[in-house]
Amino acid sequence: MVMSVRDWATRFSEASDRDQTIGAMAKYFTCSYLWDMGTAKVIVEMIDGKVYRINVDPAPMDAYDFALRASPQTWREFARPIPAPMFHGIWSASFRRDLKIEGNTLALMQNLRNFTVQFELLRKVGVPV
Amino acid sequence: MAKHSPVVGRYVTIEVDGCEYSVFYLRNGSGVPLVCQHTAGCHNHQWRGLLEDPEITANYDVIAYDLARHGKSDPPNNREWWKEEYLLTAEHFMNFINAFCEALELDRPIFMGSSFGGNVALQLALHHPDKYRAVIPVEAAEHAPGFFLDLWRHPHANAAQVCGSGVWDLMAPQSPEHDRWQTWHYYTQGAEVFKGDLHFYSVDHDMRGQLGNIDTRRCPVIMMTGTYDYLTPPEATEATARQIPGGIYIEMEDIGHFPMSENYPLFAVYLKEALRIIESKS
Repeated sequence: MVMSVRDWATRFSEASDRDQTIGAMAKYFTCSYLWDMGTAKVIVEMIDGKVYRINVDPAPMDAYDFALRASPQTWREFARPIPAPMFHGIWSASFRRDLKIEGNTLALMQNLRNFTVQFELLRKVGVPV
Repeated sequence: MAKHSPVVGRYVTIEVDGCEYSVFYLRNGSGVPLVCQHTAGCHNHQWRGLLEDPEITANYDVIAYDLARHGKSDPPNNREWWKEEYLLTAEHFMNFINAFCEALELDRPIFMGSSFGGNVALQLALHHPDKYRAVIPVEAAEHAPGFFLDLWRHPHANAAQVCGSGVWDLMAPQSPEHDRWQTWHYYTQGAEVFKGDLHFYSVDHDMRGQLGNIDTRRCPVIMMTGTYDYLTPPEATEATARQIPGGIYIEMEDIGHFPMSENYPLFAVYLKEALRIIESKS
């Protein structure tokens, strides 16, 4: 049973906001990003290390800094407690699998430390696809 | 009672292509010299587990240096290096290693390096086979394009964090968290040289079509790669080893691109097998 995108957003927000590794360096972790999982899309807006809002039904003109796009199967692989090789991060999956990183990648780099920690929360939270 | 490590650090001054370098190295053990090269943008403490492994140091003189501009090794003493862009080449890299080994009067050491250190190990096997007893290229391949990127030191981003987190998923998720963060920490310290190192790794290092000329009777080649390495994935290393007459490939399960630093106990299992193979050929 796939969780709803709304339930996912609640769980992800809570997990991110209470994550100690993000909290240790939260100031200035401010950006917005789209996760395109095929059958589900979300825009996460971060302000100073906290989830300000998750848009679970993005409209075509809704803005974000950068996007990660991959197939639902790839997102499910990201969410395994121990992902298989090449599904264990955004770099590996963009080099060797179907993940596409688009948009303002400089914004991604400016927030890379915390974004990487946040991405790995999917292993605990799961994905809505 | 002070808890001193048996590892000792020293400086040696060498001359390489007109550059005078003060080179810092760590050393422990006795026996066959085993010279270790860290990965790009990093430093010799990646080899901390090996340097303190009593099983290895009982029979091997383990020496891990900081390449010039890395860790505690300075940029050239006799050049205005701040007026030039640092772009490492295969030739200078090999000349540095040869000069360092000669300065320490090492008798045909085994050379082991990871990532760009693995790639230069292949270069040494081809161009200087009689200087080395064997080479162990770790996480290496004949060609490794795609990582010579401007973003490693973009002035609008925190380059230390970009380098540390940019290599994060080169490591396996199973590797101990503390060791992965320690490796991240090392990577925050080398942000200014990482891109220049990668000029060698992704641009100047291209041995396609040359591997058949490596003579493994003079210098055995034992290649090892972890299954979580996306830069030089196992199939890339295996394809490289297959083109080297007599080349040997060992696949390392559940480990990534920084095996000696991210999970030394697991890496040691494979390293001991590589050293056993080299011993049998000596």
